[in-house]
Amino acid sequence: MKKHPVSLTVNTDTYDLLIEPRKTLLATLRDTIGLTGTKEGCSTGDCGACTVIVDGKAVTSCMMLGVSANGKEITTVEGLASRDQLHPIQQAFIDKGGYQCGFCTPGFIVASKAYLDENPNATEAEIRHALGNNICRCTGYTKIIEAVMSAAEAMRNA
Amino acid sequence: MSEYAVLGKRVPRVDALEKVTGAAQYGGDVHLPGMLHGKFVRSKHPHAKILNIDTSEAEKLPGVRAIITQDDVESGRRVFASDKVLYLGEPIAAVAATDPDIAEEAADLIQIDYEVLPAVQDVMEAIQPDAPRLHSDDTKDGPARRAISTVLRKLERDNSQDHSAEIAELNAQLETIEGEVYYNISAETHSASGDVEQGFAESDLVVEDTYVIPRVHQTYMEPHVSVADVESTGKVTVWASTQGPFAIRSGIAGTLGIPLNQINVIPTTMGGGFGGRFGVVLTHVPAVLLSQKTGRPVKIQMTREEEFTDGRPAPGCVIKLKTGVKNDGTILAREGLAFWDSGSISGASIGSTIRLRGVYKFPHLKVDAYGVYTNKSGTAAYRAPGTPQVAFAGESQLDEIARKLNLDPVEFRLKNMRVTGDPVPAGPKEPKVGYKETLQAVADAVDWKNRTKGPNQGWGVAIGDWTNGCGPGGMFVSIHEDGSARIFHGSIDITGTDTALAQIVAEILTLPYEDVTISRGDTDSAPYATGSGGSVVTFTMGNTAKLAAEDTQRRLLELASERLNTEVESLELKDGRVSTIVGDPPKSIGFGELAAYSLSTTGGPIVGKGSFARKPSTPALAAQIAKVEIDPETGRIKVLKMASSQDVGFAINPMAVEGQIEGGTVQGYAWATMEEMQYDKKGNVNPGFVDYRVPTSADLPTVESVIVEVEAPDGPFGAKGVGEPPITPTLATMANAVTDAVGIRITELPMKPEKVVAALHGNGK
Amino acid sequence: MRNFEFFEPTTIEDASALLTKYNGKAKLLAGGTDLIIEMKARTATPEYVISLEKIPELADITYDEESGLRIGALTKLRTLEKDSIIRERYTALAEGAGEVGGVQIRHLATIGGNISHGSPAADTAAPLLVLGAQVRIASADGERTVPIELFFLGPGQTVLETGEIVTAFECPPRSANEGSQYIKQKIREVMDLAFVGVASSAKSDNGTVSEVKIGLAAVAPTPLRATDAEAMINGNSLTPELLEQAAAAASAQSSPISDLRCSAEHRREMVGVLTRRTLQAAAALAQG
Ligand SMILES: Cc1cc2nc3c(=O)[nH]c(=O)nc-3n(C[C@H](O)[C@H](O)[C@H](O)COP(=O)(O)OP(=O)(O)OC[C@H]3O[C@@H](n4cnc5c(N)ncnc54)[C@H](O)[C@@H]3O)c2cc1C
Ligand code: FES
Ligand code: FES
Repeated sequence: MKKHPVSLTVNTDTYDLLIEPRKTLLATLRDTIGLTGTKEGCSTGDCGACTVIVDGKAVTSCMMLGVSANGKEITTVEGLASRDQLHPIQQAFIDKGGYQCGFCTPGFIVASKAYLDENPNATEAEIRHALGNNICRCTGYTKIIEAVMSAAEAMRNA
Repeated sequence: MSEYAVLGKRVPRVDALEKVTGAAQYGGDVHLPGMLHGKFVRSKHPHAKILNIDTSEAEKLPGVRAIITQDDVESGRRVFASDKVLYLGEPIAAVAATDPDIAEEAADLIQIDYEVLPAVQDVMEAIQPDAPRLHSDDTKDGPARRAISTVLRKLERDNSQDHSAEIAELNAQLETIEGEVYYNISAETHSASGDVEQGFAESDLVVEDTYVIPRVHQTYMEPHVSVADVESTGKVTVWASTQGPFAIRSGIAGTLGIPLNQINVIPTTMGGGFGGRFGVVLTHVPAVLLSQKTGRPVKIQMTREEEFTDGRPAPGCVIKLKTGVKNDGTILAREGLAFWDSGSISGASIGSTIRLRGVYKFPHLKVDAYGVYTNKSGTAAYRAPGTPQVAFAGESQLDEIARKLNLDPVEFRLKNMRVTGDPVPAGPKEPKVGYKETLQAVADAVDWKNRTKGPNQGWGVAIGDWTNGCGPGGMFVSIHEDGSARIFHGSIDITGTDTALAQIVAEILTLPYEDVTISRGDTDSAPYATGSGGSVVTFTMGNTAKLAAEDTQRRLLELASERLNTEVESLELKDGRVSTIVGDPPKSIGFGELAAYSLSTTGGPIVGKGSFARKPSTPALAAQIAKVEIDPETGRIKVLKMASSQDVGFAINPMAVEGQIEGGTVQGYAWATMEEMQYDKKGNVNPGFVDYRVPTSADLPTVESVIVEVEAPDGPFGAKGVGEPPITPTLATMANAVTDAVGIRITELPMKPEKVVAALHGNGK
Repeated sequence: MRNFEFFEPTTIEDASALLTKYNGKAKLLAGGTDLIIEMKARTATPEYVISLEKIPELADITYDEESGLRIGALTKLRTLEKDSIIRERYTALAEGAGEVGGVQIRHLATIGGNISHGSPAADTAAPLLVLGAQVRIASADGERTVPIELFFLGPGQTVLETGEIVTAFECPPRSANEGSQYIKQKIREVMDLAFVGVASSAKSDNGTVSEVKIGLAAVAPTPLRATDAEAMINGNSLTPELLEQAAAAASAQSSPISDLRCSAEHRREMVGVLTRRTLQAAAALAQG
């Protein structure tokens, strides 16, 4: 089957790839490019572990074809911290204990970033609702929500 | 606990950076050059004979490198079904190919011919004489027959006198007991103390009910995965995301007949386990077999759907329960009979049925339990295995009694609770326990006495108990030439246990937390460590860490005594140095200097060793109070408040402890309200997150955790296992809250909206 | 997933021509949140996948007081949910869109996909029914318009013929004295498929309601209007008795099945409850 040339930007780096159309964006990021921070928890759009930001919007990358990402700008969890500083949301997840096994964490952090960029003054209820596409089985969400709330505050004050 | 410098502090976890940046390597992140991908061919029927397996079409597909079936398992141990499949989704063959999509395509091309057999999915149907049978040799007597048979056997063995009349009489009695031979039985357990018949006779109120608890999946977020690489020498390396690398090593060895020193299990970071990630045959053994056959590394990653059809979830069960009390609220007797749905393999959590005794006095107790085969995948542990189920039954029934007798449900429980030194029904004496303190703490946290509620709102309280397990472990602590320390061990960190271990070592060695680092070895390099399940790690490895740090301390003191020309007895560790306790002039030497000195002299590197087997562990209680609101028309339940207290002995890292309490409570909430693996005659019908619902952040309020610290005499610094207790009360907490809100008693979980509405219409279960 | 050939046409004509050429072996791809699931499960194994993403005219939302609302089929549900005109005038549709999956799904999922998939439980279906939507359909041969009531034929089946593409949904203009609401019966707060979905729309006229429409989802082989209940209410004031009668009539008009999610009886009962609630809310919104 014909492979397709795909050119996409991931966390400021541009990749020119040749991929099978049946490969999802998630598989492209993890297997072809080798960025394994984005996780696969269900492959059916339900768990949010595979969340990445495509052209400013958080999406489940298991529900998008790699070929559909052609020409797009993608941010993954690997792209959030700078060389010497974590993103405020990453820092807050550490300070508040917002993770345990950590498998859901990249998805939560990326989804939170996209949402706080859109709604910096979000209330707790709004955050709980907006993060409903992400499942965490370990934390019971209490500390995740605390982390996102405190990151939002830190970002507002920055 | 202000006496400690590092213990009891909310320090950030040792793995913080890698977890928030995506750098942590989980099983699925392992990628080896030339790696192949494995996929399973799975049964399409819950019960069927396999007539033929045709792999010819699949073999022709470009990219396919190997196809294996049970014929390839030389040891003969069951890895694949070969004669008969016992559940929908049971593996029959596996394919390795150059790409996962090709492997999937090949698996779809393998043709299996079946002769479909009748299947049984329900425990109460499975025990009937006309039920389809999974295995042979599976009949057992029920409790009443068993009581007579036991006497019969005794009489028959006794040759000292003639019992023929009594024997005939008893045999006649046996004839009259109907429906008491159970079929499809995988296991049984029985315990008793006192005389329940007498207890019920003395009771003013006897309540009887049947409780049905569904099978639920642990739903760790990372599906099972393994990468196996078998070298031409036969040496097996397996990258495994598992709770117990040493258990996986011995499991592979036992299943495939490979010596332990030819197997190295490299544990990766693990995406949750909750008891469900000890399995050997699910992916590890098939990956090894495929790698043996192809000579290439092979990765097998289960899909979420496969997790539901072929994972090893928590067993559902049916519990018949009877409790007798005096009008003043004194509990006298309890009798329980439980049927656990083992699925196709023996191994359900049936031993936990004894926890029907809760932490109450029960002068008279009788508990009988049976594991029952059904056409479902086998089961495994899930957070306090078996206990949430029995606590649901026990604590729901107590709540009913409190309502009937018009007693405050907290006071009623406190009145009957055991305290330190009390006899445990069918068990030893209670060690030092804090049951009452724990229940009181959560009641105080919500101001129970002054609670208020609006229309359709209600409060529920329940408790659950668990005693952490214990197992062997080993550990090394090294001191570097700059005075910093490193821990080396082989136990798996799920909940932040590495952080707790670093805290313990830092505390004993008087080092700042940041100066202690920790690393995990594989099974080739690290000393043995028991699996991370049963809340063992803090207790076991914490004790091990204490021993290793104390050994290091001893060595540091000896070296310092040499260098400072001072008796060991007059030296102490302080701020990363060894100093004289009193002394004029004070003398002191840094750890770094001692390490360098030891390297350059005969001592060699400073390495402290800890080796630990077991010590008595102490029971811990979790207690919860929820406030809910019911929409009486739609049946939807909203949690308004959830408070959860737990006796943790000593909270080494309060942030991690709270995380465990919050997470376990929410898992319990989910079991109560939404989670349920559903089956029809064809097998599991909800193998995905669309219809197997787990809660999201939008479903819940903040969980308020309340830490209670009643020191465990043998725990490290008094700590108890923390992971398991918090899930145990919640099923009943939620059910009791619903009853308080709208007056219905739901005895069959989960409390989906339809069930709530039906109960409000008077057709409740 | 099986392999397939991938196309990204830039015009409706080209897309339609491809569909016709590969008759039966091709599938349109919008957001992919239904199609990719099916392809992963191998319940759909198209040999050709035609992405609509590069066709610019499919993605716009326009509104004017004369001609009303036009929503391009490729509009993301997240865009609909946040659009101020839709929230204000076509409230049920914003709510329905906002009920689909979670935020990440709604950034992918389109309204065209939600409707074309033909699921009786689609969350935008009942809202579109009560908002009087017309479905614009194009093919290489031209265009046609189908009222949404006639679009669905059965589970997974619609009036779309080979080569046809849904291009837009058009709803008549709405005034400030019209209101609408959508409620879905579910277990989880977000990320749940509808056990039952009900939308109602009403216009307020001096104490009475008119132009009442009630749409039901997940309670029959297709989404449908509860026309008997509508007829009872039109021109009357919403007394509690009338509401109860209308709720009962809507229940009676539904023909749900029992499945693993819940029983037919529960669905029928919820149709009544949600009909009453959405009617009340729609009328309240209409009164301002
Ligand atoms: C995790 C998850 C949760 C979900 N939750 C919900 C929910 O709560 N409620 C709900 O209603 N749905 C839900 N869905 C289903 C899905 O998201 C919606 O139906 C979505 O709107 C489909 O749109 P799409 O653009 O992704 O469609 P696609 O998957 O791209 O297409 C769906 C079907 O429609 C066809 N099609 C698409 N566009 C057109 C067009 N313009 N003309 C003709 N045919 C076309 C395609 O060929 C395909 O057969 C969920 C899906 C997922 C993965
Ligand atoms: S892996 Fe994509 S949502 Fe779960
Ligand atoms: S931290 Fe384990 S799933 Fe969220």
